[in-house]
Amino acid sequence: MLLGVYDNPDATLNVTKSLKEKGYDVYDVYTPFAIHNLDRVLGVKRSRLSTAAFCFAMTGLVSAISLQSFTSYFDWPMLIGGKPFLHIPTYIPITFELSILFTAFGMVGSFFVVNKMFWGRNTDIIDLRVTDDRFVIAVNVHDGKTDVNELSNIFKKGGALEVRERINEL
Amino acid sequence: MSYESPIREPLVNGGKTYADVTRDILRPMENKASKGWWIGFTVSAIVLGIWIAASTYTFLTGLGVWGLNKTVGWAFDITNFVFWVGIGHAGTLISAVLLLFRQKWRMSINRSAEAMTIFAVLCAASFILSHMGRPWVAYWPIPLPNAFGTLWVNFNSPLVWDVFAISTYFSVSLVFWYIGLIPDIATTRDRAIGFRKTIYNFLSMGWNGSTRTWHRYEMISLILAGISTPLVFSVHSIVSMDFATSLVPGWHTTIFPPYFVAGAIFSGFGMVLTLLVIGRVVLKQEEYITMGHLDAMCRVVMLTGTMVGLAYITEFFVAAYSGVEYEQYAFINRASGPYWWSYWIMMGCNLIAPQVFWTKWARSTPWFIFVMSIIVNIGMWFERFVIIVTSLHRDFLPSSWTMYTPTLTEFMILFGSFGLFFTLYFLFIRYLPTINMAEVKSIIPTHSHDDHGSHAHAEKGETVHG
Repeated sequence: MLLGVYDNPDATLNVTKSLKEKGYDVYDVYTPFAIHNLDRVLGVKRSRLSTAAFCFAMTGLVSAISLQSFTSYFDWPMLIGGKPFLHIPTYIPITFELSILFTAFGMVGSFFVVNKMFWGRNTDIIDLRVTDDRFVIAVNVHDGKTDVNELSNIFKKGGALEVRERINEL
Repeated sequence: MSYESPIREPLVNGGKTYADVTRDILRPMENKASKGWWIGFTVSAIVLGIWIAASTYTFLTGLGVWGLNKTVGWAFDITNFVFWVGIGHAGTLISAVLLLFRQKWRMSINRSAEAMTIFAVLCAASFILSHMGRPWVAYWPIPLPNAFGTLWVNFNSPLVWDVFAISTYFSVSLVFWYIGLIPDIATTRDRAIGFRKTIYNFLSMGWNGSTRTWHRYEMISLILAGISTPLVFSVHSIVSMDFATSLVPGWHTTIFPPYFVAGAIFSGFGMVLTLLVIGRVVLKQEEYITMGHLDAMCRVVMLTGTMVGLAYITEFFVAAYSGVEYEQYAFINRASGPYWWSYWIMMGCNLIAPQVFWTKWARSTPWFIFVMSIIVNIGMWFERFVIIVTSLHRDFLPSSWTMYTPTLTEFMILFGSFGLFFTLYFLFIRYLPTINMAEVKSIIPTHSHDDHGSHAHAEKGETVHG
């Protein structure tokens, strides 16, 4: 794997774009903050987290309505102030809150799962400075197929501060 | 990456590079704690001790140690609860609503505002617990199968809604805050050594800055902001329904939900100003939390203060127009009854005082903003006191009319809750990055990196704040 280290998000974006156009196998780009459009350039598929969010919201909604109607209508109806046992309007606030609660926790849970993030995971980071002020483009080098010299030239022409190799995948 | 029009005030002054941002914001965490931090932390911890002592005394003895009586059954406890919940709301508003509106100035203040939310909601929750009198049965409003033949809670009650609203709000805010912290914790991790590295490594959950992760991160931030926005409105609306769904004159008003939300924004921004006007100087973050930020927050304070003022006047009008004498009396009693002074403190602090922010001078003078923020906090505390106590103390039956006088214990709990809040806040500024570094880096103009120190922004920043 060949790494190009940059200090400028615009250069990172441009180099990634030209690498993609020339058909290099760009493994990933590591940045200290989200660079607008970089995900599209890299061809990251639109995350399905928003669909997941909707499903979690519906789960919360159904659970809340079931909980409230089961307890106050089916299980133990209780006359309070002459109000109906199955009184949907007063269920709205709790239903709303639980939908939000399920969405938030479900989404964040899925986010951690798809990113394989968990507490205490040991980080094999591509470059220590990548969380500070450096941008790293990692390109997979395939033996015989990838022209390493040309690749490192593109890196340098794009303004790379350093170009180095790395054996292990992240 | 980011382009800035030369006409606009820069969001971050001083021509910072990315490395500067990391260094500046992590400085209070990486250096030894300053003397100021120790003094602040110690004082807060002592005040927290007062809170612990007064709460323990209340729990061991019973609610009789408070000044409540059979007419005024809610007073300091619920006043403090609504006060703290209201303060909490600014954090969510700054991070969620301003994110949806793409207001980039939020980026330097959202972290500390969200932290404030979490700590304020904790303070509020403590009053919910203590006002129950028997905190060991505080789980009763949760619908759990129980020993009474599974007697469930009453879902028609706004007090039960409140339990759900506040706990959802607390947990969602906590999650939102933590998600925002992860990239910055990773930055801290990569600069730390030894034991600190172990801790931050644990908390960073293996964040590595990959574009794929950032892509999902952006999406999850947007969705969390999208659901937090209606959440924050719903939570304070539900808090207001604790009053509005009752039959007590002075509480039974449909204007309450929007009026409480406006009040929450108002008091929350007041508290954010209190913290940041001091914090930006002490933590040397004037270049990140600029006068532009203070100016914007002052405008929000003025707008929302006027909105609550309008609500006070509308309530009066509606009472007069309703033709209901109980309703009319409740409001006349507020303004001219035995608690008239609290009503006029409220009016003065919330409606009249913030009007000074029409002048540029008021919005650009930090010491004055600080004084105003305290006034706003006082005014909003009195608003809740007025709503609760003056509506209750003269009820339908003149024979049960009475006065409420708080006891020393209640004052100690109120005072002590600030200790709880500030102790947590001091721990936060010591152990977590107080400004969202990743977001701030994304709004720094790229060119300021190329010609550091010679750019127009840098010169401008130095002349203004030199």
